[in-house]
Amino acid sequence: MARMKFLCDMERCIACHGCVVACKEGHQLPVGINRRRVIIINEGKPGEKSISIACMHCSDAPCIAVCPIGALYQREDGIVLVNKEVCIGCGYCFMACPFGAPQFPRGNAFGARGAMDKCTFCAGGPAPTFSEKERRLYGQNRIAEGKVPLCAGMCSTKALLAGDGAVIADIFRERVARRGSGQAWGWAKAYKE
Amino acid sequence: MVKKILTLLMLVLLPAKTIGAEILRPYGPVSPVETLRKLNHLLLGNWPDEGREFISFIVAFKNYYFYVLIGVLGVLFLHYLIFGPRRFEHRGERIFYYGLFTRLVHWGAALSMTLLVFSGLATLFAKILGGGSLVMSLRSLHVGAAFAFAPFAILLFLALVKDMVPAFYDLKWFLVMGGYLSRQPRPVPAGKFNAGQKMWFWLGTAGGLVMFYTGYKLYQFTAPVSFLREMLKIHLYLGLAVLALYFIHLYMSLVAIKGALKSMLSGYKDSEEVALMHPKYYEKVSKD
Repeated sequence: MARMKFLCDMERCIACHGCVVACKEGHQLPVGINRRRVIIINEGKPGEKSISIACMHCSDAPCIAVCPIGALYQREDGIVLVNKEVCIGCGYCFMACPFGAPQFPRGNAFGARGAMDKCTFCAGGPAPTFSEKERRLYGQNRIAEGKVPLCAGMCSTKALLAGDGAVIADIFRERVARRGSGQAWGWAKAYKE
Repeated sequence: MVKKILTLLMLVLLPAKTIGAEILRPYGPVSPVETLRKLNHLLLGNWPDEGREFISFIVAFKNYYFYVLIGVLGVLFLHYLIFGPRRFEHRGERIFYYGLFTRLVHWGAALSMTLLVFSGLATLFAKILGGGSLVMSLRSLHVGAAFAFAPFAILLFLALVKDMVPAFYDLKWFLVMGGYLSRQPRPVPAGKFNAGQKMWFWLGTAGGLVMFYTGYKLYQFTAPVSFLREMLKIHLYLGLAVLALYFIHLYMSLVAIKGALKSMLSGYKDSEEVALMHPKYYEKVSKD
């Protein structure tokens, strides 16, 4: 089975925040819930680069490991999802996540955290597919419709790629080869300053 | 022809090359590995240093609470079976032990602490309760109970601290395990409060305030994630100790020593009990 992945091409990302807005609008997320965000380095200076980050749907995901209640699970295609009806909002997943992907709404009794919300790879959640409950809790299920995630579909420069890991890796490799960015591999590049 | 080529070289290509080298170069292709290395800290924070350790900590701690809960309850049950409860006559002279203020503050702290312990346990063992909105409400209760507990912890500290200063004979009390490992009550080295009570006092008040601070930071959830991880670790370690001593205190006062509950309601202790279990205080009172 295909392994779903995100890949953001930093040579193409122009920090337009289109992915962020698309995600927020498409899933009707409340203010303060950011399933996707854009990080910029050297802003306004030579060498400016940006990257769009959401849940990376890790293999052996830390959030699944620390969840005290088993609310998080991984689909066969690698997409990590949360069951919001079971989640108790303890926040362990946020502390275990390298990317800060889990988000928590406020405004319950005493202002305590509600159930965790995160990128679903536009694959809905454990509720019945295309049900009203699924839409309300998790947003659209574009994967079941046969579409790519909204952020990647909306990306104006096609910097953000989403889909079968093998396919997007091929696309990216081709781009890098065409750009001729020199040696982008090897011990010295990866580990030496 | 040569002149034309030279002019082109001088006027167009050379400046273009120079400008390109100076200005355009940074915008040209850069190895993604290089860029990612710069981005790494922004993306991951301290995760590469502490993430793995944090995950194994949480995974291990899920079980620690279970073991401690079962272990403490099991040991207390065995203690009851082997040594049974202690009864004092409660007919002799009575000694005034707890003032009204102390008793009121104690019961305020006791009630909120009970809510804290059980709502905390519900959060930890959410899986048994099925999670969802039930546990979420109990988590909110945990927050509310913490705000109720904090002022009582401060007042209890102020009310009792002068009698709770550790003394040398407390070590001896620990060596004989407070004399609880025998059926026959013998005098044990203790002042107004014994070493066990002192331990519970310091953990409950000073530790309780640390629990409040760490819990408050976790409730806010706005601090850097690295700091939150530390807060959670402290909260879980201290919580483990509070859990154990809470149940021991409950057992002592409700089950093991008959009349202990009454003394915290009326303020009076039986003189025979004081002479045996708090001899140093008994001597002091008898002299007066």
